[in-house]
Amino acid sequence: MGNLIGHLIGHRTVLACALIVLLVIGAEALRWSHAARAAALPSMGAGSAGAKPAPATLTELSRTHIPAPNNMPSAHASALTPLAGDGMLAFWWAGSRESGPDVKVFASRWRNGAWSAPWEVASRASLGKALGYGVRRIGNPVAWTDRAGKVHLYVVATGLGGWAAARIAHIVSTDGGASFTVRRVLPTSPLFNTSALVRTSPVALSDGGWWLPVYFEIGNKYPMLMAFDADGNPTSLARIGHSTSTLQPAIVPVSATEVRALMRDDSEQMRVQHASSRDGGASWEDLPALDLPNKSTSVAAIRLTSGQFLMLHNHIAAGGSDRNLLRLSISDDLRTWRTVADIAKGPAGDEFSYPTMQQVGDELHITYTWQRQNIAHHRYKITLGETI
Amino acid sequence: MTLPDLALQIVYARLGWAVVAASIVAALWRGPALTRPVLAAILGGALVAMLLPGELSPAWWLGLAFQYPSGLLVGCCALRLHERWHGIRRSRAMPHTLAGVLVVCGTLLYLDTFGLLARGFYHAGFWPTLAPAIAALGAAACALAIVRGHARSPASAMLGAIALFSLLRLPTGNLWDAMLDPLLCGWAVFTLAAGAVRKSGRRASDRLAGNQEAPLAPVLQPAPLEQFSSVKE
Repeated sequence: MGNLIGHLIGHRTVLACALIVLLVIGAEALRWSHAARAAALPSMGAGSAGAKPAPATLTELSRTHIPAPNNMPSAHASALTPLAGDGMLAFWWAGSRESGPDVKVFASRWRNGAWSAPWEVASRASLGKALGYGVRRIGNPVAWTDRAGKVHLYVVATGLGGWAAARIAHIVSTDGGASFTVRRVLPTSPLFNTSALVRTSPVALSDGGWWLPVYFEIGNKYPMLMAFDADGNPTSLARIGHSTSTLQPAIVPVSATEVRALMRDDSEQMRVQHASSRDGGASWEDLPALDLPNKSTSVAAIRLTSGQFLMLHNHIAAGGSDRNLLRLSISDDLRTWRTVADIAKGPAGDEFSYPTMQQVGDELHITYTWQRQNIAHHRYKITLGETI
Repeated sequence: MTLPDLALQIVYARLGWAVVAASIVAALWRGPALTRPVLAAILGGALVAMLLPGELSPAWWLGLAFQYPSGLLVGCCALRLHERWHGIRRSRAMPHTLAGVLVVCGTLLYLDTFGLLARGFYHAGFWPTLAPAIAALGAAACALAIVRGHARSPASAMLGAIALFSLLRLPTGNLWDAMLDPLLCGWAVFTLAAGAVRKSGRRASDRLAGNQEAPLAPVLQPAPLEQFSSVKE
């Protein structure tokens, strides 16, 4: 009898194991058959890929501050994303102070040449409620509008600890940014999924997807790219280069296969750092730093539809400080840069930092942190055919 | 790269943390004998606590700090609870071989994550071909081990973690997160360290015992008597 029971149990074990293995193999095979076969390349937009850049000129149209929420004296880290037509959304965080418990992400809509009153988009409470676990601090937002008009917002939301314990929450709006629902926290690290942050703007891919620049910052700092498909689902995660002291990569496509990353420098070199990919972002090599100073401050870069490259960066003038001068520079080759204008400058100790820019039609929109109190917005008219 | 639905992750986190918490409470239990009713009460209490809403739930705070336990950690904790239920004192949930593999993998993975290796090990856990292939091969190997009776306990925990990953992509969609997390790695390091301490302790006691039983040292041994005579031959 004992032998019979043992025999039956043995048979059940074999059957259960075989069933689990078949289910595992079946599920993986099904998923694999639906997986994308090739990684998408960066989209060159309306620009002439590979052609000689056409000269362009910028004429300032307006400068203003985006309306601030009431009783929120601190503001930082703006992000822009265009909407259908000539509309645009700006996102930033505001609160009593950086890392304060009352810090929230706010949004404002640009329409008919003016910014709307700000509204709240995400907070510790709203993210925690949706995720089912606590969020300690709210940080940088980064925004992207997909082909279907959905607005994807990536928000730094920390676990237990400082910014090094940061995670990235992915929230989505189907009503033009009026309301958002939490999709997930992006998996980026095996260390309790901490120490991944966002700051710089996403880049369009040819299949309707996009790249989200990400960076790691416990001790060593290094940049990464997370790719998304057209539906906003992550498809891959990869490191940019081998450096351990660069962060906040600003990605610019040069051609259908060549991509560059301009990065904040956390090393003693104190120069804008530079990396390149010649296979559409599949592999990266570190390039020599640019001849532009960078004392660990964020940069923004875009490729104009004319083919030229623009970069916003904090220049360090004699007697100045790390962030008291925000400069707009232009380049044909991403190596040699010349100054277009000093967007904002003040005495040493002032702060004009964390810039973002977007080309919307024939206008260039720039936002940046103004004295840690407001988000400033400058608008320029882009005219092709003249040298800046 | 297929990621799990957030609703599934929330359910997994609550159940997973309940199993881990119950296992820790049972391990630290110093009250009356850990009978089945006591063990059931611990597990039930952990489940109820984790299901509490918002900040009242320990899952809220555990998620804040650790996000999700790996499938293998939950599996090993469930095994430990199963062993205690059956009154098995000598645990097989974390054998030294498994602990060694976890420590080696964890060391490589975390060195890479801190930017010291730059090999992209964690990112490979999302690869659309490699991760599923490893999962399928791993599941087959675990099933074979269970059927043949080799390391049946850890093989069951691993098979469960792989099944959770392959069927639902829990906990995060990355194969590494299914098989390893810093808490499990810490458990493995502790197991190896405790094993090493026990082994060195045994060696020391063996030496001591050996010394007590050994014959007197040669210097103290009586020298063989020399036959001599004062009479000149």
